[in-house]
Amino acid sequence: MIQTIRIGHLLREAVAAPYRNLVTRPTGAAVRIRIEETLARSDCLTAMLDFSGIELVDLSCADEVVAKLLLAGRSAYFFVLQGLREDQHEAIDHVLTHHRLAVAAVPPGSREPRLLGWVPSDAREAFACVCDHGPLGAADLSRALGWLETRSRDALRELALHRLVRPDGELYYPLPTA
Amino acid sequence: MTRVIEVPAHFDDRSFDAFAEGFGNWPPEEKLLFDARGAQWASPYGLIGILTAGQALAEAKREKPLLTVPISDEVKRYWARTGFFLQAAELFELHGKVPRAAATGPSDVLLDVTPVRATEDVHSVVDKISEGASRILHGELGLEMKATLRFSMALSEACQNIVEHAGTSGWVAVQAYTFRRRLGRRVVVIAVSDAGVGFRRSLESTHAKRFGERWGDGAALEAALIQGVSRFRDPGRGQGLAFIKRFLDQWEGKISIRSGTARLSIVPPWDEDVPLSDRLPHFPGSQVQIIIPAQQPERR
Repeated sequence: MIQTIRIGHLLREAVAAPYRNLVTRPTGAAVRIRIEETLARSDCLTAMLDFSGIELVDLSCADEVVAKLLLAGRSAYFFVLQGLREDQHEAIDHVLTHHRLAVAAVPPGSREPRLLGWVPSDAREAFACVCDHGPLGAADLSRALGWLETRSRDALRELALHRLVRPDGELYYPLPTA
Repeated sequence: MTRVIEVPAHFDDRSFDAFAEGFGNWPPEEKLLFDARGAQWASPYGLIGILTAGQALAEAKREKPLLTVPISDEVKRYWARTGFFLQAAELFELHGKVPRAAATGPSDVLLDVTPVRATEDVHSVVDKISEGASRILHGELGLEMKATLRFSMALSEACQNIVEHAGTSGWVAVQAYTFRRRLGRRVVVIAVSDAGVGFRRSLESTHAKRFGERWGDGAALEAALIQGVSRFRDPGRGQGLAFIKRFLDQWEGKISIRSGTARLSIVPPWDEDVPLSDRLPHFPGSQVQIIIPAQQPERR
């Protein structure tokens, strides 16, 4: 089950004004607290953070909202971003790279997620493969990419550590995007 | 006794030190008269520098200073159009006829001289700038479309520095004009200034020890702009200036920060500034200037 959280709605609640720009640390912190409250009331393990209707995400908010949620939610939730335009990726990518974190983002009108932030290059390749093929084990990934099984296992574990795939037994599942 | 502070005829970042020198020891004991009668032109950096001085004097509980307005009607009209006199009237006793700011259509003033006191002001500044920024940055300067977002981010981060670190309020202004002598191209300039504690005092408790005897205004600027440090322990802090520096490098832009007695700049190839100027005349708070030039055809 996925919990969709509309960031634009939370932003308007947080600043009590019709702003479309997610800027400043206090605003970011207020939005993050509302996300955490929503998740605390939900049974879902995957949260889809919907940025549709947001015009600008600055570095402070990228850090306060996305990075801090990932840092805090490492053991509890899977996060996927949606509704972000290509030109809005930069701040989030920059901040997550700084923290050595990563998140999957689904562009508007697409179901193909891309990674924002930092993971080792093998993990990045493995992520694309899992998204493309569906659930994979280390042996499947090795066949698909021509890698040794240890290399595939390390890459999949790295993705699981970043909560970019959902491990279940020997298989690693792509995160739901719809 | 009254001390006269000469407002340079051509008032920008390069003549700012001469302006700062006029105050002597800060804060001056005498009543001050800011003489802008001979002013021919002022950049947003110059205009908000005057306001910062006025604000610092008010916060130091000095007598309200006098400000004689420029003689030139054209200059006066322009200063009025930037919203300068509206803000200056709070801090100065104005002498001379001040024109009303006429409502105009699209203009080179992308953002009036605007006070930044709290988080809501940053929201409001970013909201106001977005439409005009796209018109100038993409339409006139030939920057890619995503430049508008980067520009708004830079503005947001620069204004937030006031709210988070200055300990007082400040000012921001954004304007497009032509750098005839220095560059021969159109530029957009963001100027942000506050009368607050400055970089040295803001970072002192957390970073001075590491620098030992080198610690001062210059070292504090270096720590913030080059090393990306912040007074907060939060590891996510200190990224704003690093990000601004990165995209300015792509666009051959310039950032310079003056605080206390030092100024640190990231100098693009077209400029002849020095990276670090130390032992400058003291001026309260911090002054940031970001310059983004029109892209040359081969870079577009």
